[in-house]
Amino acid sequence: MGIPSYLPGWDPHLLGNIRGDSMDEREKSTVGFLLILPALTILAVLYIYPLVRSIAVSFTTDEGVLTFANYKKVFDLYLKDILYTLFITAITVGITFVISIIISSYLRFKEWKFLDYMYRLPLFIPFLIVGHAMRIFLAPHGTLNSLLTRLLGMKELPGLSGSWVGLVITFVWVMTPFSTLIILGAFRALDDSYIEAAINLGSSKWKVIKDIMIPLTRPSIMVALVLTFVRTISSLTIPLMVGPNKPNMITVDMMFRVNYFRDWGVANALGVISYLIVLGLAVYYLKFMMAERGGLKA
Amino acid sequence: MKMNPWRVTLRVIAILLILVILIGPLVGVVLWSFAERWYWPSPIPQDFGLRFWKQVFSQGRVLDSILLSLTIAIITVGFSLALAIPAAYGFARYRIPLERILLVLFLMPQAFPQLPIFINLASTFSKIGLGGNMWGIILAHTMASLVFSVWIVTATFKAIPVELEQVARNLGASRFRTFLTITLPLAVPGLIASSIFVFLWSMGEFTAAFFIGAPFIQTATVLMYTASMGYNLQIASAIAILLIIPSIIFMVIIERYLKAEYIAGLGG
Repeated sequence: MGIPSYLPGWDPHLLGNIRGDSMDEREKSTVGFLLILPALTILAVLYIYPLVRSIAVSFTTDEGVLTFANYKKVFDLYLKDILYTLFITAITVGITFVISIIISSYLRFKEWKFLDYMYRLPLFIPFLIVGHAMRIFLAPHGTLNSLLTRLLGMKELPGLSGSWVGLVITFVWVMTPFSTLIILGAFRALDDSYIEAAINLGSSKWKVIKDIMIPLTRPSIMVALVLTFVRTISSLTIPLMVGPNKPNMITVDMMFRVNYFRDWGVANALGVISYLIVLGLAVYYLKFMMAERGGLKA
Repeated sequence: MKMNPWRVTLRVIAILLILVILIGPLVGVVLWSFAERWYWPSPIPQDFGLRFWKQVFSQGRVLDSILLSLTIAIITVGFSLALAIPAAYGFARYRIPLERILLVLFLMPQAFPQLPIFINLASTFSKIGLGGNMWGIILAHTMASLVFSVWIVTATFKAIPVELEQVARNLGASRFRTFLTITLPLAVPGLIASSIFVFLWSMGEFTAAFFIGAPFIQTATVLMYTASMGYNLQIASAIAILLIIPSIIFMVIIERYLKAEYIAGLGG
C-alpha cells in the first residue's frame, strides 16, 4: 500500500508506475489547473470583479471622476451607525462567547442528549426566517410577552422587537449554536487526562474550565469568535426585520442607499468600510495564530 | 440510581427553559400560519383554520414564488456540482500551486461581507439583461455556494484511497473510465451532502434574490420578506414553515457532515 494522498507527505511520483501514465510533473500540474479553471473563472467573474468594482465605485462620481465625497458623506451621515454596528456586533460576540462556553463545558463534563441535539436547532434556519420568527416572538403583544404576562401576572410588558435589545437577542439566538459547535468540538478533543489530573488535585470545575480548557482551545475559540463577528456585521436580514428604525446597522443603510436613493457611491463606501473592519479583525486573527504557533514551538 | 426530587425539579425547569428559548420563537410562526383571526389579548388565535395554507398552495403569487425558489435551487445544485466535481478532483489528486490560498478563495463569498458584492453584481447584471431574471440569481447562488460543493467534494475525493484508482489503471482502464466507474460512485455520499448544503443555502437566500430579482421576480424568501414587513403575517409564516421543514429534515440526515466551516455560510 502506498501513502494515502491526504497525508502531507504524499508525492505524485508514487503514481509514476501506473501503466500508460507518462505525464511528467509539469503536465500534471497543468491538468490539475485546467480542472479547477472553470470554478475559478466563475469566482473571478462573479466575485472578484464585483469586489473590485465596489471599491472602485466608492471612489468615483457618477461621471467616473476620482472623489472622496462618498466617504465624506458616510462620515457625515453614518458615523453613528458605524459605531452602533460595532457596538451591536461586540455585544453579540461577547454574549455568544459566554453562552457557548457554558453549554460546551456542561456537555463536555456531562452527557445530555436532549441539550446536545436541541442547541443545534437554529443552525439551519435561514436568517430571514429567524428575523420573521423573532418579530412575532418579541413583539409587544407577541408570543413571549403573552407567556411572561401570564406567568408574572402583569398586564403589559414592553416589546423587544424594534429595539437593540431584541436585535442582540436574535443575533445571539442565531450565532450561539454555531460557535458552540466549534468550541464543544475543541473541548471534546481535549485529552481527559489533563482535566482529570486537575480535578484530582482539587481544582474546581470552574477553575478547570478557566485555567485549562479555555487556554488549551484558544485557537478554536478565536475561530468561533471571528466567524460570529463577521456573520453578525455582514447580516442584512436580521437588523432589517428585528432592529429599530434608528440607528441602523450599516448593511441596512447600504440597502436603503441603493433602494431609495440609487446612490451606489455611498452604498459602496459603506461596503468598503465593512471590508476594512473585517480585514482589521483578520489581521489581528492572523497575528494571534502566528503567536500561538510560535508559542507552541518554544 | 435514585434521583433526589430537588434535582428532578431542576432538570424539569432546565428542559422547559431550553424549550422556551429554542422552540418558543417558532411557536408564534406556526400559530400565525393557522390563525384566521387573532386579536390581542388572546394568547392563541380566536379562529384556527387552513384558509391561508390553502391560499399558499392555490394563489398564483405564493405558489409561483415557491416553485421559482425550487427551480433556482435545483439548477444551482446542478451548476455547483458541474463546477465542483472537476475542481475538487484537481485539488484532491493533482499538485496545485497555492492550493490552500485557492481553497480559501472559495470561502471568501461566505466569510466576507456579502451585501456589497450582490449590490454590484445586481447593477452589472441589470446592464447585461440578467437583472430581474432567474438566471442572474442562479449565477450569484452558484458563485456563493461553490465553497460548500468544492470543499466537501474535495474532502470526499481525498478520503478515497488512490490505490483503488491505480488498480483500475493497471488493469487498463482509461483515466476517464477510472474516474467514472471507481472514484465517482465512491464519492456519492459526499456529493449528496454537498448538494444538500447548496440546495438549503439557495432556498433560504434573500439578499442576492432581492437585489438581482427585484422588482420583476420574487423568490419565496423575497415574498416572505414583503409579506412579513406588510404585516401579512399568515402568508409570511406559512412560507417560513415551508422553508424550515426541509432544513430540519436535512439536518438530521447529514449530521455527520455538520462541520463548522460549511455551516458558517448557512443562514445568509
